[in-house]
Amino acid sequence: MSRKLATLFFAMLVLTGAMGLKALVTTHGHGSVLMANGPEPVPRPWK
Amino acid sequence: MPGSADYVIWFLGIILEASVIFCALRRKLFRRYFFLNLYVLLELLVSLGRFRVLAHEGLSSPTYRYFYFYSDALLTIALFFAVISLYMFVFEEMKVERYLRVGAILLLAGTSWFSYEVVNQSSHRMLTYFAFELSQNLYFVGLVLTFVLWGAILKLRETRAMVVQLVLSLGMYFSAFAASYSLSNLSPDIFQHLVYLVPAMGCLLPLSWAYSFWRVSDDARLTPARLAVIPR
Repeated sequence: MSRKLATLFFAMLVLTGAMGLKALVTTHGHGSVLMANGPEPVPRPWK
Repeated sequence: MPGSADYVIWFLGIILEASVIFCALRRKLFRRYFFLNLYVLLELLVSLGRFRVLAHEGLSSPTYRYFYFYSDALLTIALFFAVISLYMFVFEEMKVERYLRVGAILLLAGTSWFSYEVVNQSSHRMLTYFAFELSQNLYFVGLVLTFVLWGAILKLRETRAMVVQLVLSLGMYFSAFAASYSLSNLSPDIFQHLVYLVPAMGCLLPLSWAYSFWRVSDDARLTPARLAVIPR
């Protein structure tokens, strides 16, 4: 039971941390996008 | 349309991705590092597909946009599973594979739910926005997961050189993109002078993985003292 709860807690912790980091980085953002899979030219996203 | 330098970096990336697959097959490591190789293989196929669509439709065409953003979501999910497969390697002696699988599914489901809630207000192109948002959010999840994994490697004194090399490569890759993303948001004036930096960084991961598969033996070990300073 404790291992299951620890798994759930870890998943939620990582999700919270990741979304917090994203919010921190984009606080002063101007809508730029992050595309990290390969060196291809990035098209302009929809507004 | 992209310039000649963009095409050079793009083709360099394709060659490096093909090199990773070649090196993994040559060293008989394809099945052992299946999810890493699957990600690189998908990236290679997507790169070729993007080139074909770009050549026929152009950079500003809706077809290229749709293809780019949907394929990016697919690639980010594949990268997520590649990171999870590295967790399996690091924690394999602790027999917690089942919990890692459950955790990965929970994390993916949680990220998908979060992305859905963000795009829920959009009445049109919801699926496209969802794919885009999921890709962005999973990227940050991958970043955090990689650093947690590096912490676990240091704590558990992981000595397999290949695993250490692969995790460090991922960490460098994620960090480089996070830094460039922060710079583009915080100092767009400086960032616009670095137009080739982000595409060039896309070549880093296949370069380091190709090097790892080719040069680092799967049995090679590092001494723990080389990874961390142990307090006495």
